[in-house]
Amino acid sequence: MLKYILRRIILVIPVLILVSVIVFFIIQLPPGDYVTHFAAEMAAQGETLTQEEMDELRATLNLDRHWFVQYLFWMKDILLHFDFGHSFNYDEPVTAVIDRYMALTLIVSFITMAFTYLVAIPIGIYSAVKHYSIGDYIASTIGFLGMATPNFLLAIILMYFSYVNFGDPLLGLFSSEYENAAWSWGKVWDLAKHMVIPIIVIGTASTAGLIRIMRGQLLDEINKPNVVTARSKGLSESRILFKYPTRAALNPIVSTFGWTLSNIFTGSTITAIVLNLPIQGPVMYNALLGQDMYLAGTWLLFMAILTVLGTLISDILLAWLDPKIRTEIKGG
Amino acid sequence: MKKRLIVFLSLVLLLSFLTACMGSSEGLATSETGDEQETEAEKEPVEEVDPSSISSYNEAPELKELVESGKIPSVEERLPVAEDVMVEEVYEETGVYGGNITIPWKGADDEWTVGKPTEEPLFRFNEDGSRVEPNVAKGYDVNDDATEFTIYLREGMKWSDGVPFTADDVLFYWEHMLTKETFGKSVYDAYFSVDPETGERHMAEVTKVDDYTFKVTHKFSSPDFLKRVAIDNKWFFAPAHFHKTILPEFVGEEKASEIATEWGFADVKSFLKATGYYYWTNVEIPTLRAWVASNDPHSEEFVMKRNPYYWKVDKEGNQLPYVNNFIAKKIQDPSHAMLGMLGGDFNLGKFLVQDFTVLKENEQKADFRVLLWPSVNFTSAAIVLNQGVEDNNLRSLVQNIKFREALSVAVDRHEVTEIVTNGIGEPIQASVPEGLVGHQEGWKDQWAEFNPDRANQLLDEIGLTEKNSNGFRLYEDGSVVTLTITDQNQASAEFLELVKNYYENVGVKVNIKFVDPGTYSDQLYNNQLQATTAIPSVVNVALRPDVLVPLRLGQPWQGDFGLYRESNGEEGTKPEGEIAKLVENWDKLRAASTEEKAMEYANEIYKLHHKNQWLLGYAGPTPSLVVAANSLRNVPEERFFADEFREIGHGHPAQFFIKE
Repeated sequence: MLKYILRRIILVIPVLILVSVIVFFIIQLPPGDYVTHFAAEMAAQGETLTQEEMDELRATLNLDRHWFVQYLFWMKDILLHFDFGHSFNYDEPVTAVIDRYMALTLIVSFITMAFTYLVAIPIGIYSAVKHYSIGDYIASTIGFLGMATPNFLLAIILMYFSYVNFGDPLLGLFSSEYENAAWSWGKVWDLAKHMVIPIIVIGTASTAGLIRIMRGQLLDEINKPNVVTARSKGLSESRILFKYPTRAALNPIVSTFGWTLSNIFTGSTITAIVLNLPIQGPVMYNALLGQDMYLAGTWLLFMAILTVLGTLISDILLAWLDPKIRTEIKGG
Repeated sequence: MKKRLIVFLSLVLLLSFLTACMGSSEGLATSETGDEQETEAEKEPVEEVDPSSISSYNEAPELKELVESGKIPSVEERLPVAEDVMVEEVYEETGVYGGNITIPWKGADDEWTVGKPTEEPLFRFNEDGSRVEPNVAKGYDVNDDATEFTIYLREGMKWSDGVPFTADDVLFYWEHMLTKETFGKSVYDAYFSVDPETGERHMAEVTKVDDYTFKVTHKFSSPDFLKRVAIDNKWFFAPAHFHKTILPEFVGEEKASEIATEWGFADVKSFLKATGYYYWTNVEIPTLRAWVASNDPHSEEFVMKRNPYYWKVDKEGNQLPYVNNFIAKKIQDPSHAMLGMLGGDFNLGKFLVQDFTVLKENEQKADFRVLLWPSVNFTSAAIVLNQGVEDNNLRSLVQNIKFREALSVAVDRHEVTEIVTNGIGEPIQASVPEGLVGHQEGWKDQWAEFNPDRANQLLDEIGLTEKNSNGFRLYEDGSVVTLTITDQNQASAEFLELVKNYYENVGVKVNIKFVDPGTYSDQLYNNQLQATTAIPSVVNVALRPDVLVPLRLGQPWQGDFGLYRESNGEEGTKPEGEIAKLVENWDKLRAASTEEKAMEYANEIYKLHHKNQWLLGYAGPTPSLVVAANSLRNVPEERFFADEFREIGHGHPAQFFIKE
């Protein structure tokens, strides 16, 4: 097992190098660079840059070099000084930008994830066990609706209701009075109030999917010979349900953990923009749009690491969960 | 000095009255609340207030507390000496202290959104923008041939950290920052005078007379100098005591780079740009503004706090600003500005005319008022053809005046104004709006009549008589006459669909392309645009010529010719014919010895634009919308909304106040 993990970790290194080169290559592909974006931004605010000023800016930021040279500079700083470079847009170290949004991103992500699992798994089990009952139909209908409705649309609808009924569209995560205040119970309550819409919106989409997966898997498992045998031996229904089919049904949820992990750190993007949430998703989106190379590059690299890491963790978890896989790894 | 001030004030009064009259004759719907009261306020004669007649000063309660606890000196000591205090006129009534102004902004790289309304220039534009009036400076004297400007500062005025503001701060800025180009901008054109004989540019000299007086000496006449400084280089000063601690010239390259890293910057250059140019979002840097930065601009809410050393009072001696904090709240999408305005998160905002209906519908419920500030735009629906476009066929077409006329009369402006501007704009040609410098009789009606037959006839006359089976006209070489209109903003989609339809009706094929702002700007700077919808906006060509005269890269209709001038003929294309005349007139304008002469040449430039109509417009200019919560008072009903006048800053936010 240990040998397996080690081998996996060593394989990660070339993958990451390749990913980082590709990432850097792709970021600089669209026409223009950060300076043209900056010029556009300033023009929109009424300030015009001369050609000379733009050339100078380009030279200062090393943007006049070939992208691969820029990549090498960047990698050198990462490897030698653990310095991920500077964000052009924010005019500060990339790590400072990421750091600023990390806490709230994690809070939003974890609560949403907890919401998803706590809602989806029980409902999934219920609709599998009582399939074709009225409860199953209701859950399935809501599930399908949740899956089919785009997140941002749901966000807009909820904001509209919030505005019409409470006079506040509940944008962002804090009200004005708490924005720059120190943490207090009042602030936590304020945050909780503002979290309702994001959690419902971000949570619903994955909840709906998860309900369907859970239900389908359980339906497959519930009539397997081992379950029938257990039942014939007189075990209680709930004991049977949780000991055998549920455990097997969790398999697909665990194996998608790789993506879930990177999602936790980015949070959602479009929904976050619609709801004005100060989390990583929109920061990342703007970095890509503004050709903020180092910020975007660091982010994508970070995501790649998390995905690789997440896959590794999910493999290990699967081995723990599923004896069949365990023997396969041991055998290999 | 005093006499001039009186003449000046009465002029202001007269002009403000005129603009008020003009505004009401436009027939735009204005908010009902408080309408009468405001008109009265404008009619009331302005009493000239002698600052030294104010017997005692008042200050905000929070400052009083600080004074009592000994943290800051008393208000008398903080303000300039009595006769040099600036008395700001209030718009409606004397305000009370308290509350916040909260506006939306896009975040730390949106510095102008907080920069413009809080800006304190040396000289600012008066209400109608026709002349400059003293602001940071107390006044000026100028000699007869407009070469020597003596500028007086306010004695006892202080930076927001309490350090005296003197002529040394101006000299320091000039000697150690601007002329050394420390913050990434070259010395502004305003500081150059032009030799009328040779056309050579000479940089002005700046000398100190005493602590509160300095002199700017030009080699040749520079009658527009103060106005141009008021646009090019509004802050002709910097806190020397602060910049001495960071400039490489004083601390050494090594130390400067160390400080830059400490502040979180990658290199000294971007550090000096952020501190020397976009200085107002830095907590550490003292300013002369009514509110100064108090936290990290990257926060979700950037809070600018009251400057205890602010040097303006109202006529009753209350130190301004009335409002405690100027807060910019971060939004990720422009629509949040609207949502926040409706939800009461913001009490001040600027919006486009497209939002008019939604704002008006919610005026009652959300308790705000929508103010219409006239813009200085030529039009609100522009098609700008690139006169220097690379494609040979297309270039000779767009340079042909008949082609431009054909495209102009091919479109029904009534439909465009109804659909694009909700019927607010007039169905007229792109032209200088009435009330602004350069307005020409009859310009707005030039080629404005919808006449597709005439368009077809003109296109036939040019020689585009062959058509393909789809009805599109063909060049001589057999290729289809195609115009690609590129835009960075989907907001123009409706307008472009109309234009496409009308143009194709007369046989000119249109491709519409929407690209992201970065791509757009890349294409603009590399002369790859054929046509776009950039709206030309000019206050006065003599003061900011770029839009109308090809001097620099970056204007979609003439960028390539501008590049020629900017690069001294090394890159770009040499302008010919009428476009070359624009540049000739500009050169003469710059060398003119009096303002009148300069205006003559400016007028020539406007006339050339009138005659050639390089910029096509299909709907008259629409006002900018300034939305203020009903509790936020003293916000002017209307002012010209222009970058040159600092947009909302033109309404003097220091005298805004919250009325409960």
